[in-house]
Amino acid sequence: MSNILRLIWFDLKPELKPPVWIIMEWSVFLVQVGVYGAMISQLVTGIGNYSQFFAVGLVIMITFDLGSHIGRHFVEHAHEGRLPYLLSLPISRSKLFLTIALQGGTELALMLAVPLTVTLLIIGNLTWVSVVACVLALFLLGFGVAGLMLALSFIAFKSSDLYTAIVTGLSTIIIRFSTVLYPFIFLPPQYATAAAFSPLTYGSDLIRFFLGFDPSILLNPYYAVSVVAALAVSTLGLGLFLVQRLVEGVKSA
Amino acid sequence: MREVRIILAIARHDFSYFFRTKWLMAILLSLSLSDMLVVALVYKRMMTFDYFSYFVPAVVVMGLFAASMDTGRRIWLALREGVIQYELSLPVSTQGLVIAYLLAGGAAALVYASSLMAIALIVLPAGAIWSALLLLPFLFVLAMGLAGIAATLAGVASTHGEFFFAFQNIVQVTMLTLSTVYYPIDVVQKFLPPPLVTVVAANPLSLAAKALRQYTFAGTPIEPDFLARILLASVPFAIVGALAYFGALRKLQIKGKL
Repeated sequence: MSNILRLIWFDLKPELKPPVWIIMEWSVFLVQVGVYGAMISQLVTGIGNYSQFFAVGLVIMITFDLGSHIGRHFVEHAHEGRLPYLLSLPISRSKLFLTIALQGGTELALMLAVPLTVTLLIIGNLTWVSVVACVLALFLLGFGVAGLMLALSFIAFKSSDLYTAIVTGLSTIIIRFSTVLYPFIFLPPQYATAAAFSPLTYGSDLIRFFLGFDPSILLNPYYAVSVVAALAVSTLGLGLFLVQRLVEGVKSA
Repeated sequence: MREVRIILAIARHDFSYFFRTKWLMAILLSLSLSDMLVVALVYKRMMTFDYFSYFVPAVVVMGLFAASMDTGRRIWLALREGVIQYELSLPVSTQGLVIAYLLAGGAAALVYASSLMAIALIVLPAGAIWSALLLLPFLFVLAMGLAGIAATLAGVASTHGEFFFAFQNIVQVTMLTLSTVYYPIDVVQKFLPPPLVTVVAANPLSLAAKALRQYTFAGTPIEPDFLARILLASVPFAIVGALAYFGALRKLQIKGKL
């Protein structure tokens, strides 16, 4: 366990000294919720108090961004020669994968500390059960997205540039064609079909369900739980397989 | 005359580098097109006013802004990877090098924004297409001003690793949020204190978005005073950016490092 903790700290240290990215993420969140969210909610008439809906959407976007960042980080390590070094360490592949997952979880907790607290305060009137369920769902979603990006990392072993282009383009499309920023009922039929395939649709509706949003504008929570859990388990399983089998002997740039 | 040719050659090289960066093109295109064709359409269904007509011209301005800001990344990369040392060894003055980067930034942003404008003109009926062409030179000056902001950030962050991207993100979010790109000025007036409303109204992004909405899509005749306001709001940024980048290069020439 001490080896795992040492490796986690080894990777986290550059991001915390100083924590520019974390502070930036918090500041951007506060500006977006405090100014953009407040003003756009004056224009939105379709749902009551859109600023709460938007704040939850931003928290989900941070989770998604961090999940994809972890996948990209892994690919960068492979190309910069850091991964072969990590693979040469006297720890098993499954422990190495656990390290990557735990580091991602810690980073996610740090990034979400302020945004999630502010969002919960804005919504207010919550029970401990709903808060814990919301946090668990966010972490499950984060792991699922990270696993998805890890699963896509095989492209990067052919072309790092192509991988970044695909992942960034895909990320934007997954967010836009989902219920992160707007409820499912407002999507035009052709977009709703695409949104039904986005894991973020289920993740965001599940989190909003736990936070007490009107269930009539959300998808069935049973479907949402199934999809988010299946995504996390399948993509993490695939990621674990890739780490154990495919990354051996990967060439650094 | 020879210096002008070299400046144009450096500008052309930097301009082509922008369009050759695949991941950047993927980000910019996916963001701009999904904002225009998905976000604007869905928000329209959630509002009582025609948000699609309001937001589509704004996406063109957002594209112009994002592409201009990439000038800073290219300057930062040139400073970090030592390309700038090579460029300083070319038979061109330091001022010429600064001008080349701002020209390339402005031109790349204008070409990118023009392609978005072409798509916008397909999805949203235009009142006066000729107005769009008349606005292009003013958008070019605006893009150079925005590239100046990016150059300033690159100069400031050149010694602070990848902080440049953090600074860039904060500036982008602040400038877009404090503008009328996303919401009309009357909503801003209801919500923000008067000094901030003045900032929002004077923001060059607000002016450019308003010009596109009024003159190109609504078809109102162009008012020269308004175009002069765009120039007045943009030129100071270009000058400050040029001076900041020039200062960074001079420091590099004298000390050998930043």
